[in-house]
Amino acid sequence: MSKWEAALRLVGVGFFIGGSIIMGVLAGLWLDSRLNTTPVLLILGLLIGVVVAFYGVYRMLLPLLNNKRDKESG
Amino acid sequence: MPKRRVLGCSFPLLAVIAAALLGLFLVSFLSGALGRSLIGDVGLPGWLSVPAPDPKLPPEAVFHLLGFPVTNSIISAWLTIAVLVGVSYVVTRRLKLVPNRLQALLESAIGWLYDLCREVAGEKNGRRFFPVVATIFFFVLMNAWLSLLPIFGSINITTAGGEHVHLFRGANTDINLPLALALVSFIFVEYHGIRLVGARHYIAKFINAGRFFGGLGQLFRGSLRAGLVGVLTGGIDIFVGLLEALSEFIRIISFTFRLFGNMTAGEILLLLVTFLVPWLAVIPFYGLELLVGLVQALIFSGLTLVFATMAVTHHKEETA
Repeated sequence: MSKWEAALRLVGVGFFIGGSIIMGVLAGLWLDSRLNTTPVLLILGLLIGVVVAFYGVYRMLLPLLNNKRDKESG
Repeated sequence: MPKRRVLGCSFPLLAVIAAALLGLFLVSFLSGALGRSLIGDVGLPGWLSVPAPDPKLPPEAVFHLLGFPVTNSIISAWLTIAVLVGVSYVVTRRLKLVPNRLQALLESAIGWLYDLCREVAGEKNGRRFFPVVATIFFFVLMNAWLSLLPIFGSINITTAGGEHVHLFRGANTDINLPLALALVSFIFVEYHGIRLVGARHYIAKFINAGRFFGGLGQLFRGSLRAGLVGVLTGGIDIFVGLLEALSEFIRIISFTFRLFGNMTAGEILLLLVTFLVPWLAVIPFYGLELLVGLVQALIFSGLTLVFATMAVTHHKEETA
């Protein structure tokens, strides 16, 4: 992988984490106010946001991790 | 004996320039809000100081076209398009084998972007993705750089409704434009994903229930152990597919807010520094904003490229 691709993948991570957690929380808050279930869906949305954030970051950085492993073993 | 020269000037000239700059800085510091609050009013004329900025997040409608409000950010985006089209036309009208300066500049920029595309996405896909990636790059870049011109935020006009609004406003600082670009990027990525991987394989990345139903089938056939394992791993597959789909949509949000946030923060920073210390202090921040515009354009187009590459690469190839 080129340096540029690695850099771009890393740059994308920050706002992705923020975006997914905020979206989860906002969706939870909105659904809570609609369904009167405060705060169950807020917490659920937060959890889903965090999980999506971790998974997305893992997917974005997977090639970088593989590169490193190759170098260590080789 | 040759005279000693510093920065291309003789020493007395340099001293005069430095003294003038220092004087200007002192006057600007004393007339700005920072100097006034620290030292107090020293009786400088009022026109030296800058009024407190009043940034507005929603853009203002300048006029209406067939019932649609045409905002100042749309007009700025049109200006950007006009500049890009004009420059491309002037440069490509008479291409020379030995390029002039402007052609050489554009050739090196486009060549660099093209190399980046091929490096990240491979020879064939890089060629395929290049037009959209380069368009996003230049559009975001020119939006950011043009909004640093003095005509932005200073020309006031009166609308039909009698309001005073700015004629131009940095197009990237209106959240609708980053959102529209993020949607373009999203559709571009999905389109190429579906076209190059095939609709069935591409959608299987998000809805992956094969092992789940296989496991259920085995349960019905009586093999309890294999069935339970199948249902469990199938459940994980479905969950991962859901996460994959969600993260695809979250990208739109993160694209939008990254560009909007950085550009709006930059504009407010410039306004505030001009308010605190007018004239000279803002110059380094202008340099910073030039850099931020370049970086944001690179990030927006580069991430589109990376995501498109991820979409056309099979999951197994990527992890292997």
